[in-house]
Amino acid sequence: MKKNKSILKTITTSREISLLVVLVLLCAAITIKSPSFMTYKSIIDMLRNNTVTMIMAVGMLGILLIGGIDISVASSLALSGMTAGMLMKYGVVKNVFLIFLIAMAIGGLCGLINGLVISRGKVLPIIATMGAMYVYRGLAYLVANNEWVSAEDLGTFSSFALDKFWGINYVIWVLIGVYALFFVMMKWTRLGRKVYAVGSNKEAASISGINISNVELFVYVMMGILAGICGTIAVSVYSSAQPNMLYGKEMDIIAACVIGGVSMSGGRGSVAGALLGGLVLAAIAKALPLVGIEAIAQNTVKGVIILVVIILNVITQRTIDRNNLKEREI
Amino acid sequence: MAGKSGRSIANKPEKVWQKRILSWEGMLVVLFIAVNIFCINISSMYQFSNVLREMPKYLTEVFILLPMAYILIMGDIDISVGSIVCLSATMACTAYNKGIPFIAVVLICLMTGMACGFVNGIILTRFTELPPMIVTLATQIIFRGIAEITLGSGGSVSLTKADGFRMISGKVGKVPYIVFLVIILAAGFTVVLCATTFGRRLYAIGSNKLAAYYAGIQVERTRLIVYSVTGFMSGLAALLLVSVLYGANTTTGNGFEMDAIAMAVFGGISTNGGKGKLQGGIIAAFIIICLRIGLGLINLNPQIILIILGILLVLSVLLPNIFRGVKLQSKSIEMK
Repeated sequence: MKKNKSILKTITTSREISLLVVLVLLCAAITIKSPSFMTYKSIIDMLRNNTVTMIMAVGMLGILLIGGIDISVASSLALSGMTAGMLMKYGVVKNVFLIFLIAMAIGGLCGLINGLVISRGKVLPIIATMGAMYVYRGLAYLVANNEWVSAEDLGTFSSFALDKFWGINYVIWVLIGVYALFFVMMKWTRLGRKVYAVGSNKEAASISGINISNVELFVYVMMGILAGICGTIAVSVYSSAQPNMLYGKEMDIIAACVIGGVSMSGGRGSVAGALLGGLVLAAIAKALPLVGIEAIAQNTVKGVIILVVIILNVITQRTIDRNNLKEREI
Repeated sequence: MAGKSGRSIANKPEKVWQKRILSWEGMLVVLFIAVNIFCINISSMYQFSNVLREMPKYLTEVFILLPMAYILIMGDIDISVGSIVCLSATMACTAYNKGIPFIAVVLICLMTGMACGFVNGIILTRFTELPPMIVTLATQIIFRGIAEITLGSGGSVSLTKADGFRMISGKVGKVPYIVFLVIILAAGFTVVLCATTFGRRLYAIGSNKLAAYYAGIQVERTRLIVYSVTGFMSGLAALLLVSVLYGANTTTGNGFEMDAIAMAVFGGISTNGGKGKLQGGIIAAFIIICLRIGLGLINLNPQIILIILGILLVLSVLLPNIFRGVKLQSKSIEMK
């Protein structure tokens, strides 16, 4: 009896587990309607096409955890991806590894500027990254110089998204690697715990000796580096590079985090939550055409789902709080 | 003592004058003049008549800036306005193409906007725990999604006849109607903000929501009103945008929310709430518009204009912060 209750309690109180239940139910419902959803190829496709959002979501998690926000991510992604594409188009750099390093450096620099302006200049995150959003996107256009990079220009690089290692695309290996790294870092390293500490209570963290502005700087630089990686991945997955690529994607990334239970005011959220949030969004995008909802209505459905999820979250939180109060009265 | 007090009285007018110039709004006026001189220097085409002709396209964003300033002063944010503009414009175009009389079309456009704003407001006031950023993010996707469904597979609609809308985009002499409308509305919004109870309530809510609540301000009702007004003004912006563009598509109003927030912040309104003046926001809006028109006249790449705007935006917040930091440091050194 007691154990039964505790299972029900963990489902309703743990955000990740309840989200997992939702995801499983969602997948089951889609599979009944259209059996082709649960095949190996379809899942790999789904993951590959949403790698960018999912990798960026984990970087955004770090930023949301300290109570910040970064809406310049899609622009810094475009800047690093466009630079990588142009370098390949003119044959300056051929080595895939080097391309990744260059893109990461550019993304990291973008993140560093954001981080410095926010942590040292004390500018509100939304303002600083909004300005940065314009600047980086504009720079991407300047780098492109009215050209775009097509699949032919990319040569062998576009096969990076298709080539497989142990039956799984390289791109997905990158995704797994990033998540494994962040999972360990957020849970078991001093740095990860510092991020949580700053997010839960800035003053307490400061008094206990944490250098807050360095932690802030770190999460923004990390986000920039991830944006750089994703820029290169996006170039190879879509096998083209345009300065307007992934315009407005930052909202999808924030939405993935929020669905995954990351609080916008900081301190609450987990890597598993961000992963599940990204997966739910990916599954919805993949499933809507399969269950017969036209592509045109996809955005509306996505918006409604985000809204329903956050409202449900508030309602459950209210009931939990009320129940806790009742228990205390007895 | 008497001499001292006498001196302070004698200095008083000068100090006020200095304060006016050194305030953020004063700096913006100086910057506005500087931008205009700069634009006149770089392009011989930058004349009054040309600027007036170019202006209506950009002025639509000022309509959104006005209520956005209210929202920011309350410490909230609304990033769905661009999508509301898109949805309202779509509704207006579709309705007008179906042969509905123009007056009804105007009403449909404004009501669509207001309904969208009302939805935002209702959700935010019923579930006060939700951050406005996330709710308006969701509604942003939904409103644009509805517009996409209405537009169908083509993704755009253009007016088959434009009599009514041409009437709106008419001119008195050389000055388009929209300029008068902007001036009237800007004056109205400014007066309401600084001279009425309602305006002072917004500042109270922005500085401390809880204190405002205990002081007897109906916080949630005020927020609902402001969000509805924002929707209404977005509908108005959509109406005037259609009268310039003669159509709508899925990307109509893209980035309006960011532009409006950028103008407000550049004008000295803090997104934390409770600080800033609408006058500053309006001057900032005109600085940005003049810069855009001027740089557009010399065929500068629009992306470079974006870069300049982005840098201006960050610097406008960063520089005062740095100055304040330096001042504090020098003060603490003096104390030692």
